[in-house]
Amino acid sequence: MFGILEQDFSWLNLLIMISVAVAVMGVVLLFVVYAIYFERKIVGWIQLRRGPNRVGPWGLFQTVADVLKLLIKEDVVPTKVDRLLFLIAPIIAYTPSFAIIAVIPYTESLYFADVNVGLLYYGALSSITITGIMLGGWASNNKYAIMGGMRSVAQMVSYEVPLIMSFLGVVLMTGSLNMREIVQAQQDGVWFIFPQFLGFIIFLIAGNAELNRTPFDLPEAENELVAGYFVEYSGFRFAFFMLTEYVYMFAMASLMTVLFFGGWDAPFGLDFIPGIVWFFLKFLMLVFWLFWIRATFPRVRTDQLMGFAWKVLIPLALFNVMLTALLHTLGIYSGVN
Amino acid sequence: MWGIGLLKGLGFTFKMLFQPKVTTKYPDEPIEMPNRFRGIQHFEPEKCIVCNQCARICPTGCITLVGKPNPDPEKKGKVIDTYDINFELCILCDLCTEVCPTEAVVMSNNWELATYSRDNLLKDLKWLDENNTNIREENV
Repeated sequence: MFGILEQDFSWLNLLIMISVAVAVMGVVLLFVVYAIYFERKIVGWIQLRRGPNRVGPWGLFQTVADVLKLLIKEDVVPTKVDRLLFLIAPIIAYTPSFAIIAVIPYTESLYFADVNVGLLYYGALSSITITGIMLGGWASNNKYAIMGGMRSVAQMVSYEVPLIMSFLGVVLMTGSLNMREIVQAQQDGVWFIFPQFLGFIIFLIAGNAELNRTPFDLPEAENELVAGYFVEYSGFRFAFFMLTEYVYMFAMASLMTVLFFGGWDAPFGLDFIPGIVWFFLKFLMLVFWLFWIRATFPRVRTDQLMGFAWKVLIPLALFNVMLTALLHTLGIYSGVN
Repeated sequence: MWGIGLLKGLGFTFKMLFQPKVTTKYPDEPIEMPNRFRGIQHFEPEKCIVCNQCARICPTGCITLVGKPNPDPEKKGKVIDTYDINFELCILCDLCTEVCPTEAVVMSNNWELATYSRDNLLKDLKWLDENNTNIREENV
């Protein structure tokens, strides 16, 4: 941001970097608070309920009250847990989720790190979270926690493969892993949702599985595993795991906006509306999509889940990569871009 | 096949988003109970002839009443002195109002008995007399 990363180190620059990070943190927290609120509202409306409406006007402070309750709870560390791992697991899970937000460009000028391998960075860091989840499950010394952790690892490792491969089509078309260049390629041509429709569908499914959300919420299947890997967690450590999930939702929806919906690019030549508004609208649409499928689909079975990833999504993703490469070599896609 | 069912499901839930809600706004807006609802009894001491039938029929024995001789020496019979219903016990079964020959005790549509102390659940003659809203239509 503002070329600070290219300059020599100085304490002022460090201060600016930290304050920018805190500001982004504030924005992300605001998003998380109201994502949870609107998730409960929308799921409520679909189930013909009203959703939270008691705390504050229209229940707007419901999540604030919930988080406050979590923060003032006693920090319980059960006796027989592996203490060190139990304590650092939420931190390991959370840190990468916040770190990947740095590479996402919001508008032409509003971005934090212009990384040449932005997509690689995103994929690599987001898989570190699995370690935190696994550690949390294992350190809890609880059968539900370890089962939830194992399921989570199996699921996230499996679905990461088609997820990353669905990026590849986009990368092949732009010839860049830099997210800003990907958006610029879409500004010149068409949004990648059209030439990369198959990749987009794969991304939608695998991304949802990566987020551990319904219909892929087996790691925390309430009716089988109580709460999965965070059974033994309470108070602010539990809040950290929840925060991780919703920050990933932010990151995943932003990434999808950038890769397939042209980021800040205005459709139909509606350039007078600023790019940040367009980015935000597309982003909200994708977040709504996540709520919508949560309210619609039941959870998939474990055996179907793994079979679907390895037998359907990965071959499809490979096919998509090959097809894109072929069409690109034949010069059909280079006309698009 | 080909995910048609998934799209149908999504379409259905999207339609549901705009349907009227089935929940009530209960604590904000009172709930209208249907006629013949068995709510808290209303008691009219003037009508009572102290026949003791309500106390005898009560399956939980929650009604206690005491009569006294009619203060008017010209008239025979008794008038009611105390009349208590213990709502810790009362199951609102309607038998006391069914059996009452003079309709001195009747059902109302009021039903909110929640309180912070069990002591408040012993309702006396005065309270039951003042509980004179939403009385069952056939007894008005």
